[in-house]
This record gives sequence, structure tokens and C-alpha cells, in this order.
Amino acid sequence: MNRRTFLSYPAAAATTVGLANTIAGLANAATLAPDPAPIDFKSHLPAPGSFPEKWICGSPSCMDNTDPPVHVHWYNAHTAILRQNKAYSYEAPFAPLYFGNDRILLLDEGFVQLRTDWDFRGVVDKCIDEWCARNGRDPASMELLVAFTHLHSDHYAATNQFADRPNTRYMGLTQEEMFGFWGMTNFPEQQVALDLGGREILIWGSPGHVIAEFAYYDSYTQILFTGDMFYRGRCYISFWQPWFDSMTRLIRFCDTHPVSHVMGCHVEMSKDGQDYAYGMTYQPDEAPVQMTVEQLRSSYEFAKTITKPGIYYTGTVFLCNQTRGTTTIDRNPYRYD
Amino acid sequence: MDQKPTYNPTLSGIPNSPSGAYPNGNPDVPYNLPGARNTDSAVPLHRSKPVDHVYVCDGPAPGKLAFRWMYGSNIAAKNRDPRIQVMQYNEDTVVLRQNMCVHWEAPFTYLLFGNKGALLIDTGANAERLYYPLRETVDAIIARWAKVRGRKTVPLTIALTSGEDIAQNQGLAQFAGRPDTTIVPKPLEVMKRFYGLSGRWPSGTGTIDLGDRIISVIPTPGTHKDGVSFYDPYCDLLFTGDFIFPGRINIGNDRDFVVSLERLKTFVAANNVKYILGGHIEMMFAPGKYYPRFYTYKPYERVLELEPSIIDELIQYGREVQGKEMVLIRPDFVLFNGVSPDQKTLVWPAGVPNITPPRPF
Repeated sequence: MNRRTFLSYPAAAATTVGLANTIAGLANAATLAPDPAPIDFKSHLPAPGSFPEKWICGSPSCMDNTDPPVHVHWYNAHTAILRQNKAYSYEAPFAPLYFGNDRILLLDEGFVQLRTDWDFRGVVDKCIDEWCARNGRDPASMELLVAFTHLHSDHYAATNQFADRPNTRYMGLTQEEMFGFWGMTNFPEQQVALDLGGREILIWGSPGHVIAEFAYYDSYTQILFTGDMFYRGRCYISFWQPWFDSMTRLIRFCDTHPVSHVMGCHVEMSKDGQDYAYGMTYQPDEAPVQMTVEQLRSSYEFAKTITKPGIYYTGTVFLCNQTRGTTTIDRNPYRYD
Repeated sequence: MDQKPTYNPTLSGIPNSPSGAYPNGNPDVPYNLPGARNTDSAVPLHRSKPVDHVYVCDGPAPGKLAFRWMYGSNIAAKNRDPRIQVMQYNEDTVVLRQNMCVHWEAPFTYLLFGNKGALLIDTGANAERLYYPLRETVDAIIARWAKVRGRKTVPLTIALTSGEDIAQNQGLAQFAGRPDTTIVPKPLEVMKRFYGLSGRWPSGTGTIDLGDRIISVIPTPGTHKDGVSFYDPYCDLLFTGDFIFPGRINIGNDRDFVVSLERLKTFVAANNVKYILGGHIEMMFAPGKYYPRFYTYKPYERVLELEPSIIDELIQYGREVQGKEMVLIRPDFVLFNGVSPDQKTLVWPAGVPNITPPRPF
């Protein structure tokens, strides 16, 4: 991007988006019923949906990567899952976007800050425009909630791209503001129900990877989003007992609620259980992001046997119990006697 | 007023110049330095025969790494820097570096010329020519050099600081079938034979004769079992690959590592060494701080060149880690012995200022 396009970029983007909104708004006003029928998020559950065969997963040479900065996958008509391109950030987190009749919830905002580097805001706006066009809604009437799973910058780096977005609320970057955003006074046990307009999201505390982390359950797709405390890769457990208690809480939740998929924020291993080392930008054979309740349960059973810090493979995930600041799985391949 | 031609920083230059003393030259030093006679003149319009360069000089041949290395991009996918950065150290010595947004190892590759041929030390981390056009770049540099020196052919020898190191041997594939090219074989035993080191490994020293510029080949196993270093007596540069470089030195065998360092120390004592040039940079300019693996954006990189005195420090701390599985941080390198290449340590070296450079964002 040269200096001229750089200077004109944010203004141009804002104008275009604004214009698009206005046009879409006019179109809606002209062609659509003034009060579209509410979408039913409560019957025929879980709402069917699908994950892609393969996510965008980097390339052998980063500068030759031609994939878009964000992979947008519509799990079903009312649920999008976004993933950052590995050549834009090795963290490549996943970010679900849940649509309700009145509000939209975005969970996680990737690991690149500036809109000129990746237009995450533009991607989210486009998803919202698409959904609104499909469902006869005016995007301006939908409130967007910009939240994140936990207090790590690979999950909130792009939040400030939403600072000038109308009808948008976003989570603050401290533990106090995070708990306050969901109105929690008794973290982590307290379970909060967020109503997106007929679609309920259950939220409760899930500390262990960090203290300030939530688990999110979408009652429509019945996806349990476990953030960074349980995902298909290296679960860095900073605090064992809070993490184990959070696992117990997840298991208890699965005992009492139907769960279609368990989903974490990253994938850091291959289909056959090989570790992709921290920082890798190409994962050609990566495991799917979604896990089954059975995999969660078996990992929990495995975790019961862990008594010491170290790295353990449960068959589904790596549990890095208090090892993040010290070591990883990799070995120096050139050692010899 | 008496205008003495003696250096006065307040009158003769930029007192706080980053390059240190005498930013505008030192008038107390003779105008015609001995090294000047080693540079060919561009004056003749049509040369009648190939130029035979004089590779003999007192002290190191003049030369300079005058520019900053490329340091990747925050968004690797948007990087539009050259795939290979080329820096001419002097007319007969070229340093190439792979863009870290093509491969995070960003290895250095060295191209040396003599009166009878050229030597390419190491070949980078990608075999794919579209990503990493090493062959095209080297061919173009050799063609230009051949024109300058009035030569029809320049035989090329390709040698590796370690045949097994995939951050340095991948580009070799691009040179398969290249005419007038000798590739030093990769398997250890065959490589020893090529250098005439069978039975003298690792105590002996081999040579590669480029024509009046005879490169020494010094076995330096320790990080790789087939590790060698190259010494250029013309520029007084020592090319050490993965064995010594400003970064995370992953020791392959801690006894070999120290023994090779001691042997290299003896070699350096008997030969002038201006700089040690390694195969990578991973340290930051803040002492003891380094980039983790796989990073594609390293704006705070340290410079490449190391002073030969680093060998003493390496021997001292190489002994300290011997027999122990540990990480040891020093201002200009980090030793990893028997541990994961991502291992971390909370032990900070005494007397070294602990400066944390800001994060990229």
C-alpha cells in the first residue's frame, strides 16, 4: 500500500460502508416489510450446520500467500465462523459471529491491530450486511456486541477497529470491565443468559489459561465455545486447580445441556496428533477445530491423573500444565552422540 | 588562523555520528592505504584480457556491510521486499539473505570470487525458485562479475556449512545440472573425502582454491555433526553457519561443540579474523534478547557481524552448559543444550542490562 492509498484508505472505506448501509437501508425500506417476521431460534434444535473440510491454514512462503486475511465460513444461515489467515498472524484464532433478532455477538477479534493491515471490521460489516439482506433487516438497527473469550491480545487486537461503528458496544480490556460487561458479580460460577433476540447465549467463567476467561454456549447451534482453555492444540494451563475446576464445570454443563460441538479458539496440531510448534505459519494437515463432547470428557478423565507440571497428550489436545514459560514439545533434530 | 589537518570532532565532522569516530575520515592516517592497490581500476575502456586480481594484502581487504538488513513485516502476507537481499561487501564478496517472509530462518548465503572461480557458501531454506530465486540471483551476480573481470566462464563451487541443515541445504536443488558447477557432496563421509579430510576429521583443515584466494575449510562439528566453517584470508572473514551466529545456538553435541571452539580459537590465533559471519540473526539489539522461532517480523535485529573475541566467551559458557540440559543467555548469543528449541529460562546473566524492547503493536 503506497502513501496515497494509505492516506485515503480509512476515509474511503468509511464512505463506502456508510453508502452501502444507506443503500441497503433504502432498499429494505422500499422492498421489505417494515417489521420482518422474527426468526425462530427455539425450535428444531440443535440448528444444523457444518464446518468446512479445510480452513485457510497458511502457506509455505508467507509473502506468496494469496488467501484473504479472514476465512469466513457460514456454519448455518445465522452463524458465521471467522478465522484469521496464518500469514497475517501465526495465532490464526477462530471467531464466531452469532446473529439474533435484535443483536449480533462477535467473539474474538484476531491478532492484528490496524485496519490498514487487515480490514477485520470490514469483513464483519460485510457479514452483517449479507445476513441483514437475507433476512430483511436494516443493519443500522442491529446492535453489535464486540466481546472476546479472554484477556490475551491475540483475541482482542482488532477491537479498536469498531470504535467508530454505530450501534456497537465493546468489552473493555481489563478483568473488571470484562466481568462487568456480562454483569457478573460471582465469577466463575455465575451463569449469565445473554438474549440476542430469541437466541440465548449462556456465559460463565472458565479460568485456568488466564483468570479472565469465559465459556460461551449458543443455545441455537448448541456449540460450546471453550476459548483457549480447551482447544485442539497446546492448552497452556497457567493455573492448574482453577483450570481443572473449569473443566469440571464444562463437564457438568454437558451433563445437563445438549452440546453439538465443542470448539476452541485455535488449532495447533495435525489430524494425526502431531504438534505444530508455536509460531508456525503453515499447517497443511491441521485437525478440525470442532471437538465432540466425548473428546472433552476423555480429556477430563485424563486430566484427573495429572499430578505434576508437564506436557501431556490426552489423545485430543496437549495439556501444557504450567510449562508455558519453560518448555515445549519440540526437540532439536540435530542432536547426536 | 593555523589550520592544522588534525581531526577535531567539533569542527571536522558530526560529533555524535552513529558510526563513531572520524565520520568524515581521519586526516592523520595516510591518504593511500595499503588496501587501495587491491581494487581494480574501472578506467580501461576495452580490456584486452581477463583481469587477474591481486588477492594479497596487508590486513583485511576493504569492504563493508553498509546497510540495514530487511526485517520482514508485521503482516507477512503483505511483504513486498525483495525475496533475496543482496549486499556487496566488496567487489569479490557478496552477502545474500533470504527474506524472512519467505522463510522465517532468513539464512545468509555468501558468494566469494577468485581468479579461477567462485564459491557459494550455503543455499538457503527454500527449494522453490518462485519463492526464493537463489539460482537466478547467483547467476546474475556471477554474470555481472564475469563481465567486469573480462571472463567467459566462472566455475562455481557450492559448499554448505552443514549438509544436514534444512535451513541451508534446500536451495541446492536449484543448482542441479548447472554447467561448470561443483557441488560439495552432502553425506559426511563423502564430504570429508572431497575436502581431503578422511582420517584427519575433525583435526585437519581442507582448502578450496578459488585462484589466488584459498578458502580454508575447518571442521566445526558441535551444532551439526557435519558442520564446517570457512575462512577467507582475503577479507579475513570467518563463515560459521549455525556454529557461531548471533542467535539461539542449538548445540547438537556439547563435547564436540567446545572442542571445535577450542580448535577454532587456535585457528583464529594463527590467522587474522576481522569478523565472524554466521548463518542467521536471531538476537535483538537489546543485549540477551532474542526472537522466537517462526517470527516473520524482526524490526529490532542485531547486526550480523561478530568480533572474533566471541569465541572465548563461547568456550567459557559452552563449558558451563556441558553435560547439563539448559538454556544460557549471553548478550550476543543464547546456548540451548539438550532442550527444546523453544525452551525458556528465567535466569538473566549478571551485569547485563535487562532491556525489553517494545512489542510491534
